[in-house]
Amino acid sequence: MAVTPDSSVTFWYGCNMTRHGEIVRLVTHILEAVGVTAAPAGGPGYCCGSTQEANARISAGMAARTVEKFNQAGRDTVVTWCPSCHMNMDDLMAPVTEAAFETQHITQLLAARAERLRPLLTHEVPARILLHAHHGFHGRVPVNTDVPMLLGMIPGLTVRDHPLRVPGHMCSAIAPRPGVLAQAHRDTLAAMEEVGADTLVTVFHSCHREAVALERSRPIRVVNWIHLLAEAMGFAHTDEYKLWRNAEDPRAAVGTDRITNSGDAAFEQLVEPELRRAPTI
Amino acid sequence: MRDAERGLIAHIRDNSASLAAACTACGECYRACPMVPRTPALTTSAPEAVMAGIRDILRDDAGTADAIAFAGACVRSGECTPACPEKLDAAFLMRLASLRVRGTLGDPPRVKTPHDPRWSARVKAFARLTMSEEERTEWL
Repeated sequence: MAVTPDSSVTFWYGCNMTRHGEIVRLVTHILEAVGVTAAPAGGPGYCCGSTQEANARISAGMAARTVEKFNQAGRDTVVTWCPSCHMNMDDLMAPVTEAAFETQHITQLLAARAERLRPLLTHEVPARILLHAHHGFHGRVPVNTDVPMLLGMIPGLTVRDHPLRVPGHMCSAIAPRPGVLAQAHRDTLAAMEEVGADTLVTVFHSCHREAVALERSRPIRVVNWIHLLAEAMGFAHTDEYKLWRNAEDPRAAVGTDRITNSGDAAFEQLVEPELRRAPTI
Repeated sequence: MRDAERGLIAHIRDNSASLAAACTACGECYRACPMVPRTPALTTSAPEAVMAGIRDILRDDAGTADAIAFAGACVRSGECTPACPEKLDAAFLMRLASLRVRGTLGDPPRVKTPHDPRWSARVKAFARLTMSEEERTEWL
């Protein structure tokens, strides 16, 4: 049954989420199902400035351009995905360039519409999940409670609690620190075993792209929380990034035609090294 | 200087000054930080001394080696804010110190910032693989 939208928002998915086009697509479908029309916006043209944070001259220009584009779009709410973007908007962007919109994280929006979402979660998803939870960002937006609450509405799914919290706001923050991400992954696997979880659920994209490789040689599943909601709603999808990252031959997994269409040199230099990177542990 | 640049620099300077003035350097934020035991350079440092150095950084002074290392180790865990007895936004204080030691205001960087010079091209390359042409036109 078609849902009449009562809200229209910009879905600011960030930049590195272009690795996960299916998540952007699924978020728009899920929001539409709960009455929100979402216009996705992201990539370098909507940068929060964090990629150039060591240079205020550059980051200020990027951030101002993004705020101005959101203002021009005329929607009163920008729904965020990335915790870096969200915090930058609050701390460094909106205080400098006047924003004609409110910012809300995607988890907040869906938590506020949980009772509209609940009857749509009709497909059983047999899984015992552990949330990949970080210390950071939860103090700003209660992701570590809202996401388990939402997933707990899925029939067949059980949420296993564990006190483990990984440092940082997402894994891209700790990845450059020697040994920190590897230890976080070891701790996570131990926590899964301790609570009997068979599925690790990531909240953010940078955590997802690092954690998917944990599936190799282990009887676990690594999914993003949006994948689980989509599965429960009957939205077909494929986590292609995970397929490619865990393939013995990523080039074959992506396929010659797609590589050619996207640019062979770009694939070889910019994509393939990441897909071939060894797992952290 | 463009308005946005001028505004961001003033925002960083103003908030640095006000948070430095309010911080008592008691060190509770340092004790709460999950990165301290994961950062070898910090394991023997005195919390109060490190935070006094952080205040110096926020006041445009050089800061101590320990303070620079602590600012450089910040990964935005946010555990510092609830630990602050003065109820300061300690996470923002540390974010500002982290930006300062990375040279955001034009000073020579005191810590190295992970930077992907091909970030934009990489983001677009992935977009060409995972998004249709129509989606890229509308979403990027």
